[in-house]
Amino acid sequence: MTRHRRAGRLVAVVALLLATAAPSAAGDVAAGRRKAIACQACHGLDGLSKLPDAPHLAGQPERYLMKSLDEYRKGVRKNELMSIVVKDLSDQDIADLASYYGAIEISAQPPK
Amino acid sequence: MKNALLCVASALVLVWPAMAQAQAPTAGNLEKLSDFKTTGTPMDIPQVPQTGAKADAIKKNLARIKLPRGFKIGLYAIVPDARHIAVGPQGVVTFVGTRKSKVWAVTDRDKDRVADEVKEFAPSIAFALPNGVCFSKDGFLFIAEQNRVLVFPAAEFFYEGPDVAAFVVVKQGELIPPEEESYNHTARVCRIGPDDKLYITLGQPFNVYAPEKMEPYKKAGIGGIVRMSREGKDREVFATGVRNSVGMDFNPKDKALWFTDNQVDGMGDNQPPGELNRADKPGMNFGFPYFGGGKTRTNEYKNQTPPADVTFPQVEMDAHAADLGMTFYTGRMFPQKYRGGIFSAQHGSWNRTTPVGARVMFTPLKEDGTADKTEVFADGWLTENGEYLGRPVDVAQLPDGSLLVSDDLAGALYRIWYDGR
Repeated sequence: MTRHRRAGRLVAVVALLLATAAPSAAGDVAAGRRKAIACQACHGLDGLSKLPDAPHLAGQPERYLMKSLDEYRKGVRKNELMSIVVKDLSDQDIADLASYYGAIEISAQPPK
Repeated sequence: MKNALLCVASALVLVWPAMAQAQAPTAGNLEKLSDFKTTGTPMDIPQVPQTGAKADAIKKNLARIKLPRGFKIGLYAIVPDARHIAVGPQGVVTFVGTRKSKVWAVTDRDKDRVADEVKEFAPSIAFALPNGVCFSKDGFLFIAEQNRVLVFPAAEFFYEGPDVAAFVVVKQGELIPPEEESYNHTARVCRIGPDDKLYITLGQPFNVYAPEKMEPYKKAGIGGIVRMSREGKDREVFATGVRNSVGMDFNPKDKALWFTDNQVDGMGDNQPPGELNRADKPGMNFGFPYFGGGKTRTNEYKNQTPPADVTFPQVEMDAHAADLGMTFYTGRMFPQKYRGGIFSAQHGSWNRTTPVGARVMFTPLKEDGTADKTEVFADGWLTENGEYLGRPVDVAQLPDGSLLVSDDLAGALYRIWYDGR
């Protein structure tokens, strides 16, 4: 949980420092976990992809997640599913979701 | 044919020991198999472990599942990414498709009604989204992929080894025009009809397609159901006006084709309804894209006049519950009320604020062959917090009259049986 709070604080700092970051709200990991119910069918509550064309979100940089969701919302990026789900997302929703998925710890082992 | 297959089988047995090198599936392998040649794929096919922490966790989740009195549910097999199910007519093997690249062969060798062996089917062939699996009564296994259809004669006989007799029914790129390939709405389902033809559902790739797609899609049967001979000839569009059907079965009693259809997203949590449809003749139009589900008009086509002959669903299911695989119950194990009725799986909503679905539904039929009132048969895979513990995809009947349910989230097959207690 400490890590999560730290992650949330980091988002806040980043958002304050970078005026270019679109949604400027600070993310709340617990709120993001609740809101991720609408993401679980494709991306999993564990952030691991459940569909052949859905990416893993676990441990994704929060800034990247916020940017992606914002681009879908603006219509800069288009996808049959994503363009539907982002329609009703607020800046706060986006920040919360990015915090939650960014806070999932992952480890990677490249092939030998 | 049977003698020829036996000869080939003996030939394969003779050359197997000579195979040494590991080999990834390559495009040329299918041609070799069609010529009854070996591919050099190693004989040992790795098995999916059936015990351990994962199996224990799934069994624990199954304790939550509610069923009508006298029914029980148990873990039948661990099958990664399990989608549609084809139970072999000889009762030897059950084949399970996936939305990835594998087809699984599931065997209950000791007939204790729990599978003891799960391994990859035809590992020398590179599959792409082999979701749709179906059997003819004479034991030919058909596999409908994203954009190809293959047939495996005597699949229940050949499956033990990596090299199986395999033939092309629809060539790569000819099921739909390749430029229409998408990952969205691309889980095909197949059935061999009472007319001995091969029926395949073709989902259209959009939420609601643009008007310029209407004519080409109608012609190709995209957003519909097509049928063809078992050799892939005489293709025709059987049904149109379908958005994305991922389940169908023929009523053995009156031969009508029933199918589920997944309806339009982005219109709110409570509309439009999901569908269970009945096609009792070719050429019927089921209303999409004018209707987004049931009698709900789509925003995109609300100013256009729908065709006069649209057929509305027999059953309106909960909005966004994602009705997928279905089967008529022809067994004798379940009580009288279930015989001749339809079991169907709800995958569960993907983006509804409060998720709904992840259940097995039962729809009895009236004397005239139309739907009576649908009820929930099995549920409990959705927690109070809206988390999925499993997502049912398909239902299929085992020879003993029990019911298999596939789950692509848990990666498992469950078995539901009746003991009256």
